[in-house]
Amino acid sequence: MNKATNVGIAGVGTTKYSDHMVVAPSLFLAVTTIPYLSQISYVGLEGLFFSYYIDGNQTLSTYANSSFSSRKKHVWYKQPVDNQTGKLYGEPVTSHSFNVVNTSWFQVALNHSWGYSSLENGWNNGGEPLFLTSVSLLGKGVIAMGVPVKRLTDRLGGIINLYGGSLSLVTMDGKLLLNGIPNTKFIYANGTIFLQFMWPNGFKNFPCSNDTPETYKLDIDGKEYNVRCSTVEISGVQSVCYPNYSFFLVFAVFAASSINEFWFSVIPLVFFVSSMITNAQREICLHDKLIKQMEATQQAERKSMNKSLALVGASHDIRAALAGITGFIDLCLANAAPGSDFETYLKQMSLCAQDLLGLLNSILDTSKIEAGMMNLEEQEFNLADLIEHVVDLYHPVGMIKGVDVVLDPCDGSIIKLSQVKGDRGKLVQILSNILSNAVKYTVEGHVCVRAWVGKPDFETKILASTRKGLGKYMSSLFSGKNDGNSDIKAVSAVRQNRDSVEIVFEVDDTGKGIPKEKQKSVFENYVQVKETAAGQVGTGLGLGIVQSLVRLMGGEIGIVDKEFGEKGTCFRFNVFLTAFEIQGDAMYGGTNSSFAIRNCSPKLGICTPSPKLDGSQVVLFMQNIERRRVSQKFLESLGISVLVVDHCHHFPSALKKIQSKLNSLLNSSRRSDMSCRSDISSSSSKEMPLSAMEGTEHKLPFNRRKDTPSFILLVIDVNAESFSELWRVVAEFRRGLHSTCCKVIWLDKPTSPCIDPKRLNPDDEILLQPFHGSRLHRVIKLLSEFGNLSQGLSSSSESSKHPYGKTRLRHTQCNDEIQGYVSSSNERYSKQGSSSPTLEPTRGRLKSKRKNKDGAESSNGEKPLIGKRILIAEDNKMLSILAITTATQLGADVEHCENGNEAFELVCDGLKAQRNYDYILMDCEMLPMNGYEATRRIRIEEERYGVRIPIIALTAHTSGTEAMEAGMDAHLNKPLKTNELIEVIESIETKE
Amino acid sequence: MDLVQLQRQLVDYRTSLYHEGFLDEQFTQLQSLQDENNPDFVVEVVSLFFEDSERLLNELSKALEQQVIDFKRMDAQVHQLKGSSSSIGAHRVQKLCIVFRNYCEAQNVEGCLKCLQQVKHEYGIIKTKLESMFQLEQQILNAGGSIPV
Repeated sequence: MNKATNVGIAGVGTTKYSDHMVVAPSLFLAVTTIPYLSQISYVGLEGLFFSYYIDGNQTLSTYANSSFSSRKKHVWYKQPVDNQTGKLYGEPVTSHSFNVVNTSWFQVALNHSWGYSSLENGWNNGGEPLFLTSVSLLGKGVIAMGVPVKRLTDRLGGIINLYGGSLSLVTMDGKLLLNGIPNTKFIYANGTIFLQFMWPNGFKNFPCSNDTPETYKLDIDGKEYNVRCSTVEISGVQSVCYPNYSFFLVFAVFAASSINEFWFSVIPLVFFVSSMITNAQREICLHDKLIKQMEATQQAERKSMNKSLALVGASHDIRAALAGITGFIDLCLANAAPGSDFETYLKQMSLCAQDLLGLLNSILDTSKIEAGMMNLEEQEFNLADLIEHVVDLYHPVGMIKGVDVVLDPCDGSIIKLSQVKGDRGKLVQILSNILSNAVKYTVEGHVCVRAWVGKPDFETKILASTRKGLGKYMSSLFSGKNDGNSDIKAVSAVRQNRDSVEIVFEVDDTGKGIPKEKQKSVFENYVQVKETAAGQVGTGLGLGIVQSLVRLMGGEIGIVDKEFGEKGTCFRFNVFLTAFEIQGDAMYGGTNSSFAIRNCSPKLGICTPSPKLDGSQVVLFMQNIERRRVSQKFLESLGISVLVVDHCHHFPSALKKIQSKLNSLLNSSRRSDMSCRSDISSSSSKEMPLSAMEGTEHKLPFNRRKDTPSFILLVIDVNAESFSELWRVVAEFRRGLHSTCCKVIWLDKPTSPCIDPKRLNPDDEILLQPFHGSRLHRVIKLLSEFGNLSQGLSSSSESSKHPYGKTRLRHTQCNDEIQGYVSSSNERYSKQGSSSPTLEPTRGRLKSKRKNKDGAESSNGEKPLIGKRILIAEDNKMLSILAITTATQLGADVEHCENGNEAFELVCDGLKAQRNYDYILMDCEMLPMNGYEATRRIRIEEERYGVRIPIIALTAHTSGTEAMEAGMDAHLNKPLKTNELIEVIESIETKE
Repeated sequence: MDLVQLQRQLVDYRTSLYHEGFLDEQFTQLQSLQDENNPDFVVEVVSLFFEDSERLLNELSKALEQQVIDFKRMDAQVHQLKGSSSSIGAHRVQKLCIVFRNYCEAQNVEGCLKCLQQVKHEYGIIKTKLESMFQLEQQILNAGGSIPV
């Protein structure tokens, strides 16, 4: 529980607090849930004593490590308790000890399996009398629960209508609990209780028997009294065995009251007592839920309290100052030279100021959100532009700190979506809030923003419509008692929301991260995580608002768990927007969506035909790992051959490699190039669906060799190395090229340009960082396979300058064939009924037609791995079944073994029989021989035969470094996924 | 109940499992692997998962009762559990395993106990949920319908 306490006690050297840990939570649970309970103790024969008790409003705890042994040694402590959590706080003080073990209740309870009830004094200061119920725990200890007598007597005095009578309560052994009858006292003699009435003229005794209730009539001073004695079991546990410890109820009715009324009063009293016990039992069962509820309520309360406090401080003054800033920016803007950097910055400032104003308004509106009065202001906007705009806003902020802010296009689904309808302002607010936090708390590394469209399958559609408040229809639909009416409504509701799309965002940074235990509270208003917030200013309001806004837009926000060892925080949230227009035509990989092929959007114009037909080679030389990774992944997903260079030392050698490869292949390809160039048709390239290309590839007479890059694009980040050095390397590379076209994109910092434009080739271009979003698209458009439209980066990139830019031409007869393919693929497509044209590269080698990331397409009968022999080494039964089935479904011939040893032997057998496996999927952690070791051995063995079998590691970790070091070719994360397997195998084949 | 209603109910139920984070896309992947050659694939794998998990959970409970706790072994077992839960997409169990492993690494007995309790709890839930989903599917099949995708 509480570390400090622990130390404190350990210092005294007598009590091991951890022992108490075992019993304390259960005791606390009881004391908080059982009504009227004011004291609960555990007395263990092993010497442990722990007790919670309530003294006034304060819960206290008293404990000792030894309740018996030598009296002198053991020490009792008293310590206050947190009413909410049961944790102890403050300093423990030594308290006087209680002689627990020698009490009769302890001994009786301990030695009998049944419970035992008695009247005892409590631990609290007054030693308040309690009804103590004690139960033995298998003879090893005793749990004792005490209910204050006062609680009972208060209630008896308060709730029961005595019809003018009064009531006294006395225990069997003569202890008076309540004396409500005037002029009386009780006398205990020889095991019998006598009620003594006293009046001026004398007194009279009535015996109270514990067997039969008796009624006496009494006439005093002309008034008639009915007196009745009756036994009442208060703590009803096994009192039959110990009748002498149950209690007497002495009841006197004044004047003329009837017997009926009298009974009427007694019954509820008995009922009250016994129901108290049953209720208690039931409530313990509800405890778990209660605690959770309490937590939630507390959070909500804290939130609302903090909010009102801070809102008091907020005032219109802030807005006034901000309005001043905006005004002055506008003044400056009017004077700035149009088109200058100065003007651009001012405009950005103005945007920032507006965002700030919006945010401020929101702060004042937080109460509105909480009250559910905030409405979405829907408008149409371009989602991709919006995301890029926000990311670009924070890019300079990050640059100053040396943190790169990267936009990861993911599967490109956002670009396809383009126009959506939703609350633009609030989305910007959410994004910039999270992003600014990420940039603020990241000292080194990068911040990566990812966005993609959630899978628009039937399930999410229901989800979407449910979230929009139509859930009640759905639920009534499934509740079993629906009527036809609601049925129709439900269906129409789903239909109406057909174009509602889920957009998922992730903002991933490499900052300090948020400690796990704090992750819950960051979404509370005004909370800042102290450890990370050192030196950072802020209201702590941001994420609270963000959460409210995200929920308003139908989504949820949370922190994604990072892999162990990864730095930083990753926020993920989703929102639901209306897809205004699905621009299937605007996407790159119109691969499977033949419906969108004809009308290429002029906006992006990257409609893809067939990247594999003539590989443009792109060389990326960038400093930032994440940006490099993201750009490479995206380009490769478009089927572009990418070579990344991570360090300036490798740059020249990488260029040389390309050069030599080119030169060796050039002769063979030149002739076909020439003939190709003679037949240029400007538009056909845009109209080719990839699926069509794929089919016709081998039939095209002018098809070039695949591995000859026709066009080399170098993307160079000049921050990585001095510009002149880079320029020298590139110039040399150019000289070595013969006719292959080479273009260089120089990436420069917007803040401090270091490129000398005079030295550049007329073809070369300068792009300002950040290299993502629309800038990345513009670069992609330069590639011939993506149209190379003339509205590229500058007028210098005219198509004529790229001899291979338009070689995409087909003969007319080919066109006919292609038409055929288009229509057939159309049919196939419509049959499939798949709704999401996702961006997927389709490479020629495996001829796979993947429809979506789940690899669900495998149902269409395509078996890209047909005829391949695959060995799967995996010791986990489930994972192996999964892997085997996955590979089998792709058409592969699969063998399975359970450890590295077996795998090695199987491979050796194969080598001897000259029947090698095409691929090996190897689990890394197996016993007795693990995957790494097996791979090393296989590599040695196969070398003798001059073979190299591709080995793919299956790991549970993200980094595959160890696998690579062991000689594996690739690694995949478990569990195995169809599309990932295909991708890896494709990439291995490409490498070969 | 008629067939259409049953099918709707199944879709709704399945959605709720995904929505509430009991299952993740791995389960979808699993379902996509089931075809006419392998009609009971999902049920088979999931039953394996049940067997596996129950064995591991028992072993873990026993391990924690020992005087000297072998955290390394426990870590390996939790790792296995994580592997098998991730392969059927039992999202919550998998997430808990991550926390559990941290506790094992930190040799935190209390944390381990708590986690084990939670894992058992989540496992119980996912088991019940999956079983009722399969029952629903069976009902649909018995009624002559097909399982909606």
